[in-house]
Amino acid sequence: MERHSGWLAALGAALLGAVLVYAATATLDPYLLSIIAFVGINIILAVSLNITNGFTGLFSLGHPAFMTVGGYVTAILTLLPARKTRLLPDLPAALSHMQWPFLPALIAGGLIATLVAVIVGFPVLRLRGHYLAVATLGLIFIIQGLATNLDGYTRGALGLNGLPELTNLWWVYGWVLVTLYVCWTLKHSSLGRTMLAIRENELAAACLGVKITRTRILSFALGAFFAGVAGGLWAHLVTLVTPTSFTFLLAFQLVVMVVLGGSGSITGAVLAAAVLTIATEALHPVEEAVGLYGLSQMLLAVAVLMVLIFRPKGLFGMAEPDLLGWIGKLHGRQPTRSGSKCHREV
Amino acid sequence: MTSAYILEQIANGIILGSMYALIAIGFSLIYGIVRLINFAHGDIVTIGAFAMLASVVVLNAPFALAVIFVLIVGAGVGMLIERIAFRPMRGAPQVTGFIASLAVAIVIENLGIMTLTAQPRNFIVPTWLSTFVPLGPLQVRAIDLTIVVLAILLMATLALFVRFTKVGMAMRATAENYNVARLMGINIDRMIMLAFAIGSALAAAAGLMWGSKYSQISPLMGLIPGLKAFVAAVIGGVGSISGAMLGGYVLGLAEVLFVGLLPPEYSGYRNVFVFATLIVILLVMPNGLLGRSTEERA
Amino acid sequence: MLWLEDVHVRRGGTHALRGIDLEVRRGEIVALIGANGAGKTTTLWAISGLLRCQQGRIAFAPDTQRLDISRMRAERIVAAGISHCPEGRQIFGNLSVSENLMVGAYLRGDRDGIEQDLAAVHGLFPILATRAGLPGNRLSGGEQMMLAIGRALMSRPKLLLLDEPSLGLAPQLVEQIFDILQRIRNEGTAVLLVEQNAAMALDLADRAYVLETGLIKLAGDGKALAQNVEVRRAYLGVGP
Repeated sequence: MERHSGWLAALGAALLGAVLVYAATATLDPYLLSIIAFVGINIILAVSLNITNGFTGLFSLGHPAFMTVGGYVTAILTLLPARKTRLLPDLPAALSHMQWPFLPALIAGGLIATLVAVIVGFPVLRLRGHYLAVATLGLIFIIQGLATNLDGYTRGALGLNGLPELTNLWWVYGWVLVTLYVCWTLKHSSLGRTMLAIRENELAAACLGVKITRTRILSFALGAFFAGVAGGLWAHLVTLVTPTSFTFLLAFQLVVMVVLGGSGSITGAVLAAAVLTIATEALHPVEEAVGLYGLSQMLLAVAVLMVLIFRPKGLFGMAEPDLLGWIGKLHGRQPTRSGSKCHREV
Repeated sequence: MTSAYILEQIANGIILGSMYALIAIGFSLIYGIVRLINFAHGDIVTIGAFAMLASVVVLNAPFALAVIFVLIVGAGVGMLIERIAFRPMRGAPQVTGFIASLAVAIVIENLGIMTLTAQPRNFIVPTWLSTFVPLGPLQVRAIDLTIVVLAILLMATLALFVRFTKVGMAMRATAENYNVARLMGINIDRMIMLAFAIGSALAAAAGLMWGSKYSQISPLMGLIPGLKAFVAAVIGGVGSISGAMLGGYVLGLAEVLFVGLLPPEYSGYRNVFVFATLIVILLVMPNGLLGRSTEERA
Repeated sequence: MLWLEDVHVRRGGTHALRGIDLEVRRGEIVALIGANGAGKTTTLWAISGLLRCQQGRIAFAPDTQRLDISRMRAERIVAAGISHCPEGRQIFGNLSVSENLMVGAYLRGDRDGIEQDLAAVHGLFPILATRAGLPGNRLSGGEQMMLAIGRALMSRPKLLLLDEPSLGLAPQLVEQIFDILQRIRNEGTAVLLVEQNAAMALDLADRAYVLETGLIKLAGDGKALAQNVEVRRAYLGVGP
């Protein structure tokens, strides 16, 4: 019976959300709408990163790379054929003549990103901890380099501009729901528990017969899929995608969202994404006024440092219930422990 | 492709390698003692370049003094970073330390952008160093020769220090076994500060070299060289100082030869090449060429 | 010269030491025996300052003055005269044998004294002189143990803490080491010995304590404890 009430509550929330989206679209000005859309995209990013970093404990900074892949693929597919032949001479003729609708294009973007993740994942995911982090950082630069240099396919450093503004709040909302649903189901499935097991104690998991590599690649790929979709959504919100659209700064912000929200907690990731996006946006006019570009990023970094300095073990640490678990409890969900291994004694 | 051309590429590789080696040593020194990657290391390179510019332009200092000034500034910034971002993280999970150093890097970069704007500036090289020196079949700029000589001097001094002094021995002991080093009465805090100071001083020196070589500096200039130097450190074996030196030269030569020997349309791929090498090395030779397998890497 | 009073240590979520009282007097060898996980190593770590005790006091009197070392940093505890030779030998593999010994004397400034002690250590363990230039990780297990003890002695400690010296060593070597421990004691250094090999430890020690899950269960004269029925059954494998 609890299951049913859980489902009903979720459905109700989704409907409520839809109503809010409708109201927002009808009443708010485009600028505010785009901010809400950014919040939604960041939620997709944070929640999907949660699968990779939070559930499985893989410290991946690779999301921007997958966003770039997804963004470009979606953009190339939705561009008018006439523009394609003009801007991207090396594109195979079959592609040049196609123009896909938004949804298939987004899914294609996500799938290609997933493909990249699987290919790269086999070698890279054998690494651990900060070596994995740096390798995925390197991936960002590799993809940037490829996008810049394969200019016959991507128009190089100029990127693809004038993209059709296909993203609106409904698309974002829809994908947010999909992402949340997938993550939520995953977390409460045996696969999700497998991932958590790997995060908590890999050796023990291996001894219990868990296929470590396969699960890691799966979680990496799943995160990459949604990152690719998010990249496509982003590209068609700002109507532009360039090799440097998605940088390691974004990777940092996403990791912060996941970690601050409590690694493994979906609700936490959502809230952190929302709060951080809105805070950054709110600071932009201040930046303009004072003429200090980069202030918002710096303040975020300083804030993160403060949190880390004053509670280094508290937020990230060992076996602490996630801070927002009480919200989950209201909905009948189990709070997850945001534990991660401690590498140093004393 | 004449032999003079190849020699010229090798010379360039050695120059680039000298700079990578200095930065990589810093990474390895710090990693060896605290087992954390200092993501802000690349930004110390930037700071070194700007410090050099400032001392030459603002303070009108002679070259040798400017270099010493840069070393001191580098050491100071390094110790500050240690105090703020690394010391509080001791004992916390590895990931936390990495995020902290990422945060520091972002703070420094944005501070740079805010105060100095992202516009590149021209680096000033004293005129007596801009002359050409004949070296065999090549004409080498005096500044490039100075770079290599200075780098070798710094690395040799460090090697002697680490091998033959009591403090150097204490640093090696601390890098190997942190707790037992304490049981010897070694003050770990001081060892860590020293590692940061020395590593950062070397990085700052690399910064001034980079500015001299490429004539332009900007607040974000150190980021990619820093990452590439990390690749060099990995090639040589993270945590090993001699490995970092070796890795630096290997990477410098490889990168220059990659660009120099392949047709020009591939030159844009130099970064792709370097980072792909990182991934390959981490998989095939995770301990690098000279590293010790004490790490949980793969 | 060493007193532990009601010492509690929590380590990684477990209450490892639950209020232990222990004493080491000048010029004696005290053995601390117990099963795996009883807290023996934790006790030594608490004394040498690698772990902080949450409750209780640890006092040390190297000469006439009594120091409270409960909250003192490890580096200063070494300076006060306690030398800890940790479990598993843990010599510096990348340093040479002679460097390992010299690092033991890190805090000392008296060149002549250091020379003397180095000669003394070479006297105790001649193999270390022959292998002086080799890196530590090229020594055999037994040689590493000797190096570890030699290194600990180089600080000229008043109290030597030894954690499981017999671990992984051939019985003949263990006898050799225990003989050397006697010599060390006779020359004026007190020893607190943690050992799994209860039989040998009790035979060597002047006094002994039995530690069981964080509490001192038994204390007394070494020989007397070796005769104790419970000890014989639990740790010496003798009896019904």
